[in-house]
Amino acid sequence: MSKAARGSGGLAWALVGPTLLLLIAFNVFPLVYNVVSSFTNAELIGGDSRWVGGAQYTRVFDDDLFGGALRRTALFVVCAVAVEMLLGFVLALSLQREFRGKQAVLTALLVPMMLSPAVMGLFWNLVLNGNYGIVNHALAALGFDPPQWLTDRDLKFWSILMIDVWMWTPFMMLISLAGLSSIPTSIYEAAQIDRASAWKVFTRITLPMCGPVLGLAVLFRATDALKQFDLVMAVTGPNDGATQTLSTLLYQVVFRDGKVGLGAAFSCVILVVVIALATVFTRYIDRVQARDGV
Amino acid sequence: MRLSTAWIASTCLAFAMASCGGESAPSDSKSTTTDAAGKPAITVWWFQWDPATGLQELGREFEAETGIAVNVQQIPLASYQEKVFLEFGGSRTSFDIVIGDSQWIGRGASKQLYVELTDWLPTVVDLATIHPRAAKYLCEYPENSGRWFAAPCETDAVGLAYRKDWFEDAAEREAFRTRFGRELTVPATWEEFREVAEFFQRPADKRYGCAIPSDRNYDGLTMGVQNLLWAFGGKWKAEDSNQVVGHLDSQGSVDAIEFFKTLMKLGPKGCERLDYGQVLESFTNGSTAMALNYFAFFPGIHAQFGDKVGFAVVPAHDGRRVASLGGQGLSISAKTSKEQQELSKRFIAWFLKREVQEKWITKPAGFTANSAILSSAEFRAKTPYNAPFADSVDAMRDFWNVPVFNELLTVTQRYVGMAVDGEMPTQEALTKLAQEKERILKEAGLL
Repeated sequence: MSKAARGSGGLAWALVGPTLLLLIAFNVFPLVYNVVSSFTNAELIGGDSRWVGGAQYTRVFDDDLFGGALRRTALFVVCAVAVEMLLGFVLALSLQREFRGKQAVLTALLVPMMLSPAVMGLFWNLVLNGNYGIVNHALAALGFDPPQWLTDRDLKFWSILMIDVWMWTPFMMLISLAGLSSIPTSIYEAAQIDRASAWKVFTRITLPMCGPVLGLAVLFRATDALKQFDLVMAVTGPNDGATQTLSTLLYQVVFRDGKVGLGAAFSCVILVVVIALATVFTRYIDRVQARDGV
Repeated sequence: MRLSTAWIASTCLAFAMASCGGESAPSDSKSTTTDAAGKPAITVWWFQWDPATGLQELGREFEAETGIAVNVQQIPLASYQEKVFLEFGGSRTSFDIVIGDSQWIGRGASKQLYVELTDWLPTVVDLATIHPRAAKYLCEYPENSGRWFAAPCETDAVGLAYRKDWFEDAAEREAFRTRFGRELTVPATWEEFREVAEFFQRPADKRYGCAIPSDRNYDGLTMGVQNLLWAFGGKWKAEDSNQVVGHLDSQGSVDAIEFFKTLMKLGPKGCERLDYGQVLESFTNGSTAMALNYFAFFPGIHAQFGDKVGFAVVPAHDGRRVASLGGQGLSISAKTSKEQQELSKRFIAWFLKREVQEKWITKPAGFTANSAILSSAEFRAKTPYNAPFADSVDAMRDFWNVPVFNELLTVTQRYVGMAVDGEMPTQEALTKLAQEKERILKEAGLL
């Protein structure tokens, strides 16, 4: 190897090294540590952990709490993302055209997204309180029998979903708006000349051209919703069987039960599920982009 | 580059395995903590509530006497347990004394997180002055072993608060007599309790019969149910061992939960999932006739309602009366310096003095475990809730306090919840719960 080549190799390492070290310290090492922990019976307190092989993974798959949390999380992701996407896109379509006060409406719509989910959880706890919440007062005044939003076993999951939709629809709207703005007006003008109906314009131009951007928005929201933690913690806590998600189950196992080894196994399985879903989704987006030549 | 990748991976793996190997030994540095003025100081952790403020006031008196500052840090209740045990996960704790839930003592003792006080405590206090139930459940581990890991701080039990003005209303009394053929009195049995709750259950008038802890998030349902469980002859486990099967799944336990289910129809909407705060709220908003809750909440109720409310012990069944234990003990962190541990001992010794306990009971919701004070006529007459509190201490019992209590609690909340909600037949739920508990106990080496 020439001296020059060796010199440039050293420079490359010098440039990449710090980033690589940080990556190892904050990403690779915790991941490896977690995987190793998942084969031990490590606890939050006490250093007498020992190797238990795949026993923690057997526990994970035998535990119907995990199955329940997985199903609940999947339901949450599907419902939240679908409703937020739909509402967000409809809002973006209605905000596409210029009108008086558009900026004020846009700002007002974006406010929920700017607030902390934990604060929102506490705020909605008051709003939806069965006895003194403003929603139930309003419903009672209108002659309806007010439901128990946060204590009824069949309702509390949907209440949290509703709060999530309220918070994150603006995000979908914003991305959709960006997607809509990126479509050249000349295409719409051409469609107008061809006397294309509004439905045809929507299904043949707007939707396909927004598709990749909307797909990315769905990916962002889906991965975020998959981690749903703050709202559940603030509204019902981590151990409520009707609302427990994968993240709150993990919290319960590690921080309350103190079972670090079992929690590590839980998180490894969750990681595999997330990676699998993200891979499928990104491949789908890549295919759509390749097809549309985006 | 291939070599570098392999090197990085193996280094990470080695680090990870080394890190899994164990935690660093607790620090034994000779440092003493001082406050801003340079005085020696100790830090006490407790959750955020009135008694913690009362303890801080007493701490100031201790400082005036000894020059040792006491800093009581109040942690929000929702995250208290997690914060305390995360602290214990490190080599040193930020606190010198932790006022831990009674259920934590098994974990604190067996994981060497709490300093053992067995030899020291009798040198500063006559152990006979500590109520035996408080000693058994708040201070000792294992129960009845004579090994002390805490000194009693706040002693508490579940009691009954009721609307005295409703019970004394002539029209209500007449209506009750007509309907049930007896006088409307404070319920002494669970059957009477249910009748009174039925009588006052008038949702159309926004008036409800009873509110009982039944929350599923932490321990509300378990603490609510176990008042009936023991009274109806049920058990969490055998008296002399950790055997669960054959005890928890008994007819008495089934009867208790079936009875509890009927009470869940006699409260405000959503009453099958009330945490302690919501039980309190449903009573203090003036809508509910009776509430079962910890005595620590009763001074606030009395301050709000005055003579309109009364207090009593929990009802009995077939002559058996058992109240869920609450309360916490003062434990010294094993992960603080020896000097700090000595300062902490001085504070605990001072706190346990009779004259200090006399002051403690004047603080908001400050309840003592001092037997002499509890049985004194002066204490019993001082407030309307003191006498039933003293009687409740004689009848209180606790849930599991073994190191795996949290796992036991999680499955208890789950299966009892399914039984109460009618998702699973009670007998089946208790059979599964008993099996699950034995699995957890066996894994932990406790069975």
